[in-house]
Amino acid sequence: MLCLSPIGPVAKPAFLGFAIPTKALSLAWIVQRNFTVKLQLTKDKTVEIRLPGGGGSKSATDIAGVEMFSPDCDGCPAVRLIKKKKAWHLVAADVVKDPNGTLPSCWEETPHQPVWELPRAFQAPHAALAVNSSMGTFSQSTADAIVQDMMSGLDAAKAAPAASSGSKKFGIKRESQPAAPRTASKSDTPTRRPTFPDAGTSVSENGRRFVTRPMAEQGFHLYSSLPEFQTLWISRLLPEGKRPTASSIQVAESALMASVFLQPEFHAADGSTLAIFVRNEAIFFAGYKKGEPVLWLRCPSAGGINAMHTAIKKTLGVGDDLIRSVLEESLIDPRPALEPFIRPIFAQLELSLAYLSSKHGLKFDHALLMGLDAGAALWSTYAEEALRLKLIAPNPYDGLIVDKGVETADATGYLVALGAAIAGAEVSL
Amino acid sequence: MNSSSLHLNLLKPTERRSSSPIRLRVMLPICAILVCAGLLCWWGMLFTNLMMAKTQASGIEEDLANKGKQHAEIIKLRDEARELKLQLEQLDYYKAGVRSVAEPLAKFAEIVPMRVQIKEMSFSPLPAQILQPPGAKAPLFGPTENVETQKLVIAGLTTKETPVVSLMESLSSGFEKLVTSERKIKSFRQDNAEAEGRKLLSFEVEYTMPERRFAK
Repeated sequence: MLCLSPIGPVAKPAFLGFAIPTKALSLAWIVQRNFTVKLQLTKDKTVEIRLPGGGGSKSATDIAGVEMFSPDCDGCPAVRLIKKKKAWHLVAADVVKDPNGTLPSCWEETPHQPVWELPRAFQAPHAALAVNSSMGTFSQSTADAIVQDMMSGLDAAKAAPAASSGSKKFGIKRESQPAAPRTASKSDTPTRRPTFPDAGTSVSENGRRFVTRPMAEQGFHLYSSLPEFQTLWISRLLPEGKRPTASSIQVAESALMASVFLQPEFHAADGSTLAIFVRNEAIFFAGYKKGEPVLWLRCPSAGGINAMHTAIKKTLGVGDDLIRSVLEESLIDPRPALEPFIRPIFAQLELSLAYLSSKHGLKFDHALLMGLDAGAALWSTYAEEALRLKLIAPNPYDGLIVDKGVETADATGYLVALGAAIAGAEVSL
Repeated sequence: MNSSSLHLNLLKPTERRSSSPIRLRVMLPICAILVCAGLLCWWGMLFTNLMMAKTQASGIEEDLANKGKQHAEIIKLRDEARELKLQLEQLDYYKAGVRSVAEPLAKFAEIVPMRVQIKEMSFSPLPAQILQPPGAKAPLFGPTENVETQKLVIAGLTTKETPVVSLMESLSSGFEKLVTSERKIKSFRQDNAEAEGRKLLSFEVEYTMPERRFAK
């Protein structure tokens, strides 16, 4: 007997199926939109077969993570992670050449679509791309605020490059401003109110691409957005039929937040930790509770590493070549330069600690300090003095088995690429 | 803990491309066409086989009908042959049962005494040779029994008893093919006929002839 029957919790199967209702064996198959075939052998036993080209994999075991248009270096930091015997191996880490062309800043620029091929070492089946875009958004907010942002998406996207057009490279804002949550106003209220998207589902609204994830706190969501034309442009960079192809496009901050997932300290704390991400232009605080995000905050009162270096140079009168020595060695006391820079950061950190303690019952005696290439010991000392908080600066490669031939110097430069890869792999650790 | 909780993927599932050189959207129609072509070929082969089988079956049926006719003819011929064989067998029986009486009869004339006139020599009638049993297709040939016996009746006139006795004695030797020793004088009486002024005697002697055997 032939019958059509969607099986199990399959969302909108584009499908065709048949079932042989015998007592011993019921066989049915469904081809879903993501090109998987499900064979229901018995009532409870289902075998899922992924068809080639479907790209419907939920977890990847071989993935390349690439940070695109990084403001911190020329080229794209890229890593390749392969899962072997339940352990992740770092098989390649290097700065690869940028794609030809710049990240478009408007729809008119999108016809110039280059084709990008990664070096052989990074030719994994999948690639998770983390994009540094001045027009991108990564923030935590309420559902209403996100919907408001969706309603005014394109206008906001247009306004952003105009503000920073003089100082961008590849459409990236050099002097980026804190991503203040947008608030609703009467002027940008459209006629149709968009519906709040399902968690993890990418939606297009008003010329922007949005994706949200619920946070541990009820009513709050992490959300990420990019202009539609940038998303499309990036999605078409890596050609079909050649390794790798894009399986994930993330905003760089999103990948940064996910990078902590590889850290053994994160797992030792059962996924409840506080991380401070120091980048060249900004500092971010991220809080996690049992692996779920509870806090994402861009420190509003301080710049990043570049600002710290400037403060050292101005206060101590040293050149660029001595900055690292000042931060790492004890020949010169950097306290007069560092303290004024760090104090507002720690003030924000104290507020964040208080928020995590009161709202989520999380008390930390240590936090992870990531992305800082020099001076972590000084930061930790000051934090212990000011907040009684020990800062641990783990190597981003901790938690990975680094294969032979992989350059381990300057691991902090690959933090975003690592985060993109591990988030894009969607694995349980 | 699953890293998907920190994965904010802006790429839509429909935008995902396969890195495999084998592309499903290309391969699927090709496979579908190949499967259809394969099925058509298979059906074509089945149809051809069916037609061939039908042709063979009709050929066999025709052949069988011809063979049936030939078989009937052969059976008929075999029956005829068997019949002819039986007839030949019967003829052989007759051949074996041939009674050569010409020589003894020629010799008989020499032994007839002077005073005896043979008026008649007759054989007793034989039983019917051909039987037509009810329902039989063909008449049965041959004698009804394997052994056939006949009587020879010698009738004549004589002047007195002695020449007849002499004739009977003469017949007792050298005429085994014609008569046996078994004889019976059926009549011996005076006849109305006269010769030389004397009344003649008529006589009838019945001899049992030798058995005629129909055997190979």
